[in-house]
Amino acid sequence: MADIIPLANSATSQSQPCKLHPQSMCPAFGSLRVLTRIEGSHPVMATDTGCLYGLTFVTHFYGASKSILAPQLGTAELMSGQVVEGTRAAIEVAAKEPGVRLIPVVSLCVAETAGMPEELLPRKIGDAEVVLVRVPAYAIHSHPEAKDIAVAALLNRLAEREGAVHEKSVVLLGEVFPADPLLIDAVLRRMGVTETIFLPGRSLDDFRRAGRAGALAPLHPFYKESMNVARTWGMPIVGGAPVGISGTYAWLKSLGSILGLDPVLVQQVADEEREKATALVAARPLSGKVMVTGYEGTELAYARMLVEAGAEVPYVSTSIGQDPLVLPDELWLKAHGTKEVIYRKALEEDIAAIDRYHPDLVFGTTPLASAAKERGIPAMYFTNQLASRPFFLMGGMAATIDFVASVLTKGDKYRWMQEFFAD
Amino acid sequence: MPPVVIRDLSDTSGYWAAIWTMCPMPDVHVICDAPVGCFNLVGTAVPDYTDAIPHIENLTPATMTEQEVGGKGTADKVKWTYENLAATGVLDNKHVIVVSTAESEMIGSDHSSLVRQLGVGTRFYYSNSLAEDEWAGRDRVLRWLWSEYGEPHANEITTIPTAVNIIGPTYGCFNAPSELTEITRMIEGAGGTINMVYPYETTLSETPRLAAAAVNVVLYKEFGTGLANELGKPVLYSPFGMQDSVAFVRQLGQLLGTSDKAEAFIRREKRTTLQAVWDLWRGPQGDWFGTIDIGVVAGLSHAEGIVRFLGDELGMKVAFASARPRRPGDYDNEAIRQHIHKRAPSFIFGTMNERIYLRESGAKYTNFVPAGFPGPGVRRAVGTPYMGYRGCVYLAQEIMNRLYDGLLNFLPVDGAYANQRANAAGTPTPTSDSNQGNLPWNSEARAILDKELEKLPYLPRISASRQLQMAIEGIARQRNASEVTVELVELGLAQNRQG
Repeated sequence: MADIIPLANSATSQSQPCKLHPQSMCPAFGSLRVLTRIEGSHPVMATDTGCLYGLTFVTHFYGASKSILAPQLGTAELMSGQVVEGTRAAIEVAAKEPGVRLIPVVSLCVAETAGMPEELLPRKIGDAEVVLVRVPAYAIHSHPEAKDIAVAALLNRLAEREGAVHEKSVVLLGEVFPADPLLIDAVLRRMGVTETIFLPGRSLDDFRRAGRAGALAPLHPFYKESMNVARTWGMPIVGGAPVGISGTYAWLKSLGSILGLDPVLVQQVADEEREKATALVAARPLSGKVMVTGYEGTELAYARMLVEAGAEVPYVSTSIGQDPLVLPDELWLKAHGTKEVIYRKALEEDIAAIDRYHPDLVFGTTPLASAAKERGIPAMYFTNQLASRPFFLMGGMAATIDFVASVLTKGDKYRWMQEFFAD
Repeated sequence: MPPVVIRDLSDTSGYWAAIWTMCPMPDVHVICDAPVGCFNLVGTAVPDYTDAIPHIENLTPATMTEQEVGGKGTADKVKWTYENLAATGVLDNKHVIVVSTAESEMIGSDHSSLVRQLGVGTRFYYSNSLAEDEWAGRDRVLRWLWSEYGEPHANEITTIPTAVNIIGPTYGCFNAPSELTEITRMIEGAGGTINMVYPYETTLSETPRLAAAAVNVVLYKEFGTGLANELGKPVLYSPFGMQDSVAFVRQLGQLLGTSDKAEAFIRREKRTTLQAVWDLWRGPQGDWFGTIDIGVVAGLSHAEGIVRFLGDELGMKVAFASARPRRPGDYDNEAIRQHIHKRAPSFIFGTMNERIYLRESGAKYTNFVPAGFPGPGVRRAVGTPYMGYRGCVYLAQEIMNRLYDGLLNFLPVDGAYANQRANAAGTPTPTSDSNQGNLPWNSEARAILDKELEKLPYLPRISASRQLQMAIEGIARQRNASEVTVELVELGLAQNRQG
């Protein structure tokens, strides 16, 4: 079967426009979002002032209300090799914060270009761990991938490997809506899992505990570095994610077998979830043509869920690169009617797709959503509206498809608004 | 010199200044010599929330990757970007400007000769982003635009006697639509006509016409004086407060030879727009003005102007005022944070940073009013100016409504409703006994509570006093204490800060 599924966009690659406007939040933002949300974490950013202003702006909007320190790095400091000296001074200030336990040093474009030798930074100051996270935007390319780099750095430093492995515990990797961990934990416990650890979250101790879990289950397909850390520990990895009907079923079964849970119980829970999800879709099927084109790295999974729920998704694009981790979703989508899957996408590719497929609804970046609205097509910013809802298992599926169904009914409003402003 | 440590930077760089100054003009297209992040933040992620626009459309990155940083240089990428953009047609009839970023400067990219191989008229702007902040940056890019696109073609332009330029805003200027509307109204009221609003409401091709104005009004003191001086005509700054607004209109009238109109406008404004301030002053609202203390962190114009009106004219106490760029002696963010942690004033006019410091200190009785960037906000309505006559009314009105809000949040509500909700949710609550008498307080405990209350702004202090006292006595009763001790007060205050 695989040989008849085209992996490259051979049919359309000739007509693809140039990638002139790449679509990603500043890649470094992914790491800052993760690092500022941890209790007791006081980040130091090593970068120039324009970068510092922009990244703290978005971090204070999407991450946490947390004060951020930085060494002043202008021409004088960068050219005279004072990057480390300044960073150390900022670390000293961060170490005075109440309850400080972690000082992540986020090293960005200009500091990485000037050089930031890790051996010249302290590993600890007082009780706080100092952890270097290197995320130059020119080398990372997308902000989901910077989340992975931050998580991997923390796991490398903090995870506790001594002592017995908790065989029936699992680390779930990926930023999720606050209700998702509760839903997932409840289902997994019914299968016999004794403990779930969700990373990255608010607790630093979760990173410590992660080292003795029985398995690692990345919920999103861009945690490559973190998975490599787990592999060096010999920790098994659960592929896929509990998304949609078939995805959830396969994931529960695979997780059950990797953790050595009672197969009868696992089968029972997996069947129940599948029945509930199937019933949900049968009761409230989606209909309509939807484009899923965010830059969160989770777009293929969302597309897959929407297709299972009855929508047509001809085009999917994402900011992350092509990778074996996303391949199963790509193959599944292509086998279920998706014509194009674009990685490291650019604005012009997405806009061309709108005009090629005439969708009923577009989820995308803010520039793309505005281009769709200018055509009278319902559109929303993927990050703010879709990626901020429950998503996993039957409960997440219900929340997500109900939302999509409600937006699909709003075509008139979008057409009216477009016509109103057309003249 | 010991290294300088920055906390929560308030000013961005010369690169941002360049993009935000050039791109409001629709006949410009900028290619930024930037990694993807510098393109996204300045072109989309931040202006989504400062200017409420979907994105800056006339900006394209020559996306820099490891290859370019690692020795290849960015010239090929800039050329490729130019050629492919040109092929799409978006550069037709555009002035193309290639702008450097911190990272391109870091690797020594200089495209001043490369741009000559690109389309005719393409220029390179070195944003000096590793050294220049946004204020110096905006000032310099405005002068550069004049010297490159204006001055050489301005010889034939004659001055129009009543014409006035407004210099500023650019993207990323706080409250720009409202400030611009009010200053425009005042210039017209004084008998002037608007020649150009540069760069916000013009095209780059029209730049030579800057020479036609008889007077230049600089909208934000933070930048634009350089261009105004080079134009060689009298310069005025937009006013805040009643006296400066009068002086501004009067002076403009004198400069334009329209004093009759200006004086009539001054008289009319006093009877109309400003009547609201006179009514508030004579009414119960004015009595509160003197009890209010404020902290101000904003761009230079807004920091000085808010103090001028609320402090000098209405008599509010100014706990601190810090301008961007900072004047000698102004608090930096570290000092602002410490001041707020120690004692937050009843109003803070500030940025996202002060909001964070307020949350850190649990200062829930302080009103936060946005007065500058950074910080997300939609300010596209044109009726919320801080400048000029209408600014006086808007600021006074905003303060009073915040005070009413606070008052209404603190007036007591019958406790039975909270119990009913809790019972419905199945959570048992300690029964509040409305007949319970006050517990005795030992004098040290009393002193601690009084000291804590002293820190609160005047208006909420009254309700907070009762509320805190009851909460602390509630804890004492739970523990069967016969009097309120130091330990119990401290416990109660700590719980209050968290809640």
